[in-house]
Amino acid sequence: MTDVIEKLRAAFGQTIADATIHHGIPLLRVGKAEVPLVAHYIHTHPDLQGTLSLLWAVDHRPREQRYELWYLFTLADPRAWLLLTTDLLNEERLFPSITPHIHAAKWYEREIRDMFGLIAQGHPDLRRLVRHEHWPKGTHPLKKEFPWNTVMGQQQGQYAFRRIEGEGVFEIPVGPIHAGIIEPGHFRFSVAGEPVLQLEIRHFWKHRGVEKLFENLSLHAGVSLAERVSGDTSFGHSLCYCQTIEMLLGITVPRRAGYLRALFLELERLHNHLGDVGAICNDTAYALAHAHGSRLKEQMMQLNDRLTGSRFLRDVNRVGGTAVDLDTAQLDQVVAELDRIERDFSELESIIFANASLADRLETTGVLDERTAIDHGVMGVVGRASNIDRDVRRDRPFAAYDELPVNVARYRYGDVRARMRVRMDEIHESIRLIRDVRTRIPQGPVLAAPARVPAAGEWALSAVEGWRGEILYFVMAGPDGTIHRCKVRDPSFVNWPAIQFAVLGNIIPDFPLINKSFNLSYAGNDL
Amino acid sequence: MFRILKKSLKTGIVTGRHPVAPKDEAGVSPTASLKAKPFRRSLTIREVDTGSCNACEMEMNALMNPIYDAERFGIHIAASPRHADALVVTGPVTVNMEKALKDAYRSTPDPKLVIALGDCACDCGMFKGSYAVTGPVERHVPVDVKVRGCPPRPAEILHALQRLQGQSD
Repeated sequence: MTDVIEKLRAAFGQTIADATIHHGIPLLRVGKAEVPLVAHYIHTHPDLQGTLSLLWAVDHRPREQRYELWYLFTLADPRAWLLLTTDLLNEERLFPSITPHIHAAKWYEREIRDMFGLIAQGHPDLRRLVRHEHWPKGTHPLKKEFPWNTVMGQQQGQYAFRRIEGEGVFEIPVGPIHAGIIEPGHFRFSVAGEPVLQLEIRHFWKHRGVEKLFENLSLHAGVSLAERVSGDTSFGHSLCYCQTIEMLLGITVPRRAGYLRALFLELERLHNHLGDVGAICNDTAYALAHAHGSRLKEQMMQLNDRLTGSRFLRDVNRVGGTAVDLDTAQLDQVVAELDRIERDFSELESIIFANASLADRLETTGVLDERTAIDHGVMGVVGRASNIDRDVRRDRPFAAYDELPVNVARYRYGDVRARMRVRMDEIHESIRLIRDVRTRIPQGPVLAAPARVPAAGEWALSAVEGWRGEILYFVMAGPDGTIHRCKVRDPSFVNWPAIQFAVLGNIIPDFPLINKSFNLSYAGNDL
Repeated sequence: MFRILKKSLKTGIVTGRHPVAPKDEAGVSPTASLKAKPFRRSLTIREVDTGSCNACEMEMNALMNPIYDAERFGIHIAASPRHADALVVTGPVTVNMEKALKDAYRSTPDPKLVIALGDCACDCGMFKGSYAVTGPVERHVPVDVKVRGCPPRPAEILHALQRLQGQSD
């Protein structure tokens, strides 16, 4: 870690105003004008190859008259974190954009503009992102002077979609409400005949103000809101939130709770992946596999319900551990049920693989190539299907994963089939991990008490490999156990823009299939 | 082919293999039952998500799986509000979805029912008062039935729909 700091010091000298290590993460402070230079260096230097994992702003008022911008990079080898931070003092509202060099920053910088009114100079696309056109000018919800319960007025306005013009080119608008039981989002296709020339995604219909609502809550009370960021990832989000708060409160989570958390996280992965394998088949009109897939998913959710009283594993996580403990009989029951499900699923797999017309639909459809995936910082299932070897469970072990080695599934082709294969492999891997948990879980308490109260301005950052990919939470404490700022990042936020590239050249009827193979959360993206 | 047949025979009939919903929950008023009379045998639903966390969507989807199989009670999902008898609305109605909800309501032919599904749709749940939320649903469109829960279990949703159709006690 120190050698990274030394390297950057050698390259930039006095530009780096301050370098410290915080919670094991190197933190560099630079002047705002130097940010693009340093970020570009971290991104492109062959020894670092940092991908931008998160970019967010913090409003420090009323305590201090400044905004702070934070850039989180994940380095290539080892997968360490590196933080870059800069200040915007007093009335400064402009900061230099890093998007021209780092594509992954594109949505983040637009988001910061909408939420804080800070403008990224040199950003190629400064249209509104979160705020739709009817939001009044000057509405920036995450500024401290903006009351959380403001009743907003309305204004006129229209979103300018990128247009492709020419003979035979036409547009297909889809959404926000679209067919099926699915969340709202708008997709604007430009097509010539069947193939897609361009797709533009317009999201944030479901923006509920989650990050602002966190600021009303105490550190302990945020868990239930975190569970409702994205319902299908209730456990992943609440786990990541709890881990962050536990770092702030100096809690060491009991080992048994760590193992239970790993178990529940894998259960969540299982029910979602089982459902997705069926749903991908359904979008090729293969109803039989869908019926079996959704049946297996339902069995898993009923198992969740029997174990914890919640089909979505809600109210299981607490700051300091878990509220639920499982006895030996219950653990045996889980393993026995999973043995049955694995046999069942293996038969389903052989049926799926034996179907040539299904393979024809899945192969070479919706290819996301490795270069595009790297440039956009794509992660999770989608990334691993495009040969990106990342998994937080292995790279930065949390809960009990330091004692539960994970085999990371990875495919090279980046098509729909690869994404389905990653899910299938992860289903077997999750079941194996749960068997491991069963044999290794130690006895002991499952809940620990806080050791300290964080001072105002202290922060923590934590990651969890949810079933979609890397979930990140950044929490800065306010005075008296309140939350000053909570930045939530669901993997969907990063992966959505990548769909725009994966569909290019594919025919319109394949879009639902490609979208399903990504299966991203709208709620987790829109917050 | 034989593999598929063998799988189907081995799996057998799974419909109905779920815990039963508690019978006590109210929510279906006599007026709503009266309004639902034309849909006793067949009720086509358009689901509108106005800002839920997607747990309610997952449970609505579960309603269509082989275990709950709502189709056997004549409950169908339509792709367009124009083909629907009832709107099932989830979520606290965000400022961005308000217009879309009203449009969907206007597009649904009369007579129609509106079912608010989940705590968020009924009273905004955890998101009550947020700058980005203008709900609950009944502030924008008339609601006939409220199904509470965060999220309600599929068995509870199915039970409420059946009561609405007058197929259950």
